[in-house]
Amino acid sequence: MSIGSSPIREDAAAKVTGQARYPADRTPPDAVVAKVVFTDQPHARLVSLDTSAASASPGVLAILTGADVAVNEYGLTLFDQPVFVSVEHTGRSSVRCDVSRWEADHLAVVVAETTEQADAAANFIEAEWEQLDVVADIDDALADDAPLLHAEDGLGSNAYHNYKIRKGDMQAGWARAAAVVEATYELPHQEHAYLQPEAGLAYIDDEGRVVVEVGGQWTHEDREQIAHALDLPEDRVRVIYPPIGGAFGGREDMSLQIVLALAAKTLHESGTDRPVVSQWSREESIVGHHKRHRGRIKARWGADADGKIVAIHNEAWLDAGAYNYTSNKVLGNCHIGQAGPYEVPNAHIDSHAVYTNSVPGGAFRGFGGPQAAFVAESQMNRLAHELGIDPVEIRRRNLLSDGSIGITQTPMPDGVTIREVVEACATEADFDSALGPAEVFSPFASLPPSPASLKRGRGIACALKNVGFSFGFPERCEATIVLHGEPDSGTPDRAELFHAGAEVGQGSHTAFLQMAAEATGIDLDKVEGRFSDTASSGDSGSASASRLTFMAGNSILGAAEEADRAWQEGHRPAVGHFRYVPPSTEPLDPETGICHPNFSYGYVAQVVELTVDTETGHIVIDRVVSTHDVGKAINPDLVVGQIEGAVVQAHGYTLSERLRVDDGRILNPRFSSYLIPGIADVPTEIKSVVLELADPRGPWGARGMAEMPYMTYAPAVIAALHDATGIWFETFPLTPDTVLARLGT
Amino acid sequence: MQVGMTVNGEAHEADAEPRTLLVHHIREAVGLTGTNIGCDTSSCGACTIHIDGEPVKSCTMLAVQANGADITTIEGMAADDGTLHPMQQAFMENHGLQCGYCTPGMVMAATSLLQENPSPTEAEVRQGLEGNLCRCTGYHNIVKAVLAAAEGE
Repeated sequence: MSIGSSPIREDAAAKVTGQARYPADRTPPDAVVAKVVFTDQPHARLVSLDTSAASASPGVLAILTGADVAVNEYGLTLFDQPVFVSVEHTGRSSVRCDVSRWEADHLAVVVAETTEQADAAANFIEAEWEQLDVVADIDDALADDAPLLHAEDGLGSNAYHNYKIRKGDMQAGWARAAAVVEATYELPHQEHAYLQPEAGLAYIDDEGRVVVEVGGQWTHEDREQIAHALDLPEDRVRVIYPPIGGAFGGREDMSLQIVLALAAKTLHESGTDRPVVSQWSREESIVGHHKRHRGRIKARWGADADGKIVAIHNEAWLDAGAYNYTSNKVLGNCHIGQAGPYEVPNAHIDSHAVYTNSVPGGAFRGFGGPQAAFVAESQMNRLAHELGIDPVEIRRRNLLSDGSIGITQTPMPDGVTIREVVEACATEADFDSALGPAEVFSPFASLPPSPASLKRGRGIACALKNVGFSFGFPERCEATIVLHGEPDSGTPDRAELFHAGAEVGQGSHTAFLQMAAEATGIDLDKVEGRFSDTASSGDSGSASASRLTFMAGNSILGAAEEADRAWQEGHRPAVGHFRYVPPSTEPLDPETGICHPNFSYGYVAQVVELTVDTETGHIVIDRVVSTHDVGKAINPDLVVGQIEGAVVQAHGYTLSERLRVDDGRILNPRFSSYLIPGIADVPTEIKSVVLELADPRGPWGARGMAEMPYMTYAPAVIAALHDATGIWFETFPLTPDTVLARLGT
Repeated sequence: MQVGMTVNGEAHEADAEPRTLLVHHIREAVGLTGTNIGCDTSSCGACTIHIDGEPVKSCTMLAVQANGADITTIEGMAADDGTLHPMQQAFMENHGLQCGYCTPGMVMAATSLLQENPSPTEAEVRQGLEGNLCRCTGYHNIVKAVLAAAEGE
């Protein structure tokens, strides 16, 4: 069996020996350097731009601005962002180009012989700005006199995406409520902090194509956006992904892709055929790409005396920042996630994406789900507390099961296993047992531990997360398998798999090879991967939405079947190509939210045990039990790696990562001041419980799982902290000062 | 100015500006890109190398300060016949990496840790690797890999 085992990753040897060549490691000897110049203006109109002094600076080959872009706009789901802010509205574009709405909007690209020369020349670019009122946050954006950041959308409001759920009879629901819990939750930004800062290489290949080698999450989407801005046919652009140093959603949108392609093409057209490289510093990376959305969610939930939910009334606002990125999609996910994995008879939910001059919100592991799950699970735990019902028991009384009608008033896709997951989690965590005494700790060597101030607590949370694209987005995934062998041979000797699905560190390529070996019956070491090149592979869709194992697996199964048919017909080599299309989904009805939003879900439950020092506000997470239905673990060790990695990333979100954004500017764009967890900060006991209850549509039953362990950590910690202290926290990160302020000691 | 150093057993001479960081010198002048750059603030440890047997974040030194030094980078860890260093082998077998960007620095730091303390406890491994960040693995498999290497598994 090739699947269900954990062979060493196909890229492990290159990565432990330093041979893996990441985007910054591919600088050809004759390369020139491109430096992106940010506007450094959260909100201002460009009055004039003078690049003549910069152009005359030593070593400069070109200064590229808006005038050099054929179509000065881009965006993953809406073209609402100029490639460059520029005085003149040039080319075809619908967005207003002369206004900087974000400190990291691009003003120009300097192409020079060396990094030092590019940096020096950038200082000579002269821009004159007319300052505009900065829309700093959601409150600013919704004020009556707020400037409209995208008046071109014709909506007359910065709240530009608004979704509704209208289900049942709210009045009848409230009438049955024995307990009502109400709170306003404030959700923080989070920075992806992938270890590899943005970098890339562009050149013109032998066939005259513009080639970009860069880290991303969806080669074909990158190609589409480059082609759009440069006004080229897509087959004139080629995108290749080398080894990528992490992504987590942070590479879904453009960073260097368009500007690198533009620089290589412009140089080529002026007779200079030299490759172009570009690289961001950590500071440029943190300032220059989107974040997990900050937001505010008001929630009022009611349950009857048995703990059955009778009504929920929520309103959510996500700070989309200056441009949409994927906010409309993230908002949809956050919208339906606010009902949790529960049967809700009566619901009234409004969700809004709001433009501000802050850093854009966008894709990040969980994609709006974690914000929603934080609210839903906090509300559920509060109801349990109010009614005096055990938190596991109250979930039993409300959880979805096969045949349940979801919050969008359509049946859940078959294979609803949240009940099994919650039960397994409670059992494995021994949820009913008494917590032992606290282990004494001291956050500082100079501070003596104080056993009397330590309190322990335990909490649970559970959630569902969609697998694959939602709300009617055309979902598909392509694979090609080529079987090689002798003409008279009954079975092939070896196989090649062509697939564009991105390897961002999660191990996707290893899992693809395992699935290709399983599907063809060929030994794993005889299957070769040809990955992530738009010139050789069809569109795979993105490495996101916990979709790649599910989608790629189904495409590989189909390609193997096609290849086998060609083999039986005598073709050598035998080529099989397959495009997998899952069951279709639908957008939310604008008035009621009625739709079939998703075709598959993964399910998670977590129990967290912690100790809090009430004198210092320090929290230690003693134990995490993370329970998942993954359908089928294609590579069990990689599954556990995703669980541990996601839990620790959520640990940072919940406990330490505080992005400071003031008047549209990020104040701490460094690892020295934005604190992601180090090895000594993380929970030392993470118990991964992996169930394999098949998804009826999954390849070998597999479901997606990479986001799910992230979903429930924050609410489980908050529940445990309440258990320890009796206080419900409505916001995080739970840094010691935040905790101490609420404890009032 | 001219800077000379031994890198992975080979003598290397190159011109370096006085302000060039050692990590840039290794990547650009010596041409070894296995040593990665992950931050601007000496926070992440991705650029950890060995200088005269000691682990050093190579962004915390100037190239000229390494004049005459004996340097080992991740490329110099495997034996000449390609046999991996036990720490490299342990990271592979224990899935101690995902994206792999922190891995060279982790391997270099972990190797030094075991030189100082051949049989560390789990807590000592965590303490010893505090200067190296990883955003993918959650660190558990990294700890496992280092303990496995210590036990010679």
